Amino acid sequence: MPLLAWCRWLEQTPLATAISESIWLFPLIEGSHILALPLSVGMILMFDLRLIGVAFRNGPAARMMADVVRWSKFGFIIMFTTGVVLFMTQASKAYGNAFFRAKLLLILILGVNAAVYQIVLYPKMEEWDAMGDTPVGARICAWVSLIGWVSVITCGRTMAYQF
Amino acid sequence: MASLVSLFEPLSNSKAIVVIRDSSFGMPAIQSIHLVGLTVLLAVMLVLNLRLAGLSLTHWSLPSIERQLRAWALGAIALVIGSGTLMFLGNPAKYLASAPFLFKMTALGLAVICQFGALRRFFTSDPGVRRRAINVAVAGLLLTLWFSVGWAGRAIAFV
Repeated sequence: MPLLAWCRWLEQTPLATAISESIWLFPLIEGSHILALPLSVGMILMFDLRLIGVAFRNGPAARMMADVVRWSKFGFIIMFTTGVVLFMTQASKAYGNAFFRAKLLLILILGVNAAVYQIVLYPKMEEWDAMGDTPVGARICAWVSLIGWVSVITCGRTMAYQF
Repeated sequence: MASLVSLFEPLSNSKAIVVIRDSSFGMPAIQSIHLVGLTVLLAVMLVLNLRLAGLSLTHWSLPSIERQLRAWALGAIALVIGSGTLMFLGNPAKYLASAPFLFKMTALGLAVICQFGALRRFFTSDPGVRRRAINVAVAGLLLTLWFSVGWAGRAIAFV
């Protein structure tokens, strides 16, 4: 089945039509998607500030990462679940939307960035914490994350105007 | 209400606001700035209040976190209020007639007064000197106020 036909089928599923036709469900799901941003993206941005060196300088980055990721995981579960449901209700409009495509591409880049951090930099975090220094690679990952997430928010807000 | 709308009319019809309102990317850009500001603001409030409740970042002293994040909180508030003012001036009649907007402004005012005024001492002193239940209650109240601002903002589009 071509992708656009699959999007149209998705919009016609009982779950998607029930949400689209409900007065409260769509605003509630959309609101949850947006209000999960501070818990998911916001907490990651706070950690980025630590890596860049503009906040939380007087404490170990490894400890902060453990604390922040614990909360942001919960936020990302809400964001992802509500995002999938929102996509189901407007799949064919989203399919042709350049901002939606840019948003997905940016999320993919941010996923790769997080994986690079996890595989290359995370194993040595305690070492560079002990030295009181943040490696250049970690700072670059933080800047990519910071700029990337702000761009994702911008694409997400702008795509709604194209529907 | 009509007199309030007419009060904002000269600003609402100014060249800058008309350009933002009528261009395809003016309002989406302003709304994006508003949402980025709100995300940073609520994230800072989450960090501060979760620390107050003893649920996160317990290795950092709360007064130290408050000092380091104060500029970010104030910068985010400036961004939210600045972009929010431009959105409001784009259609003052719509916003003044909206119950969620009036609720949002009330919640924002209360949140700012409580966080930076009435309850500020909770963040500039060691939470360990008080009973934890009091810290949790204050953090719960403040987070409810801050997130009400966000929910009311979303409700403007639907109610």
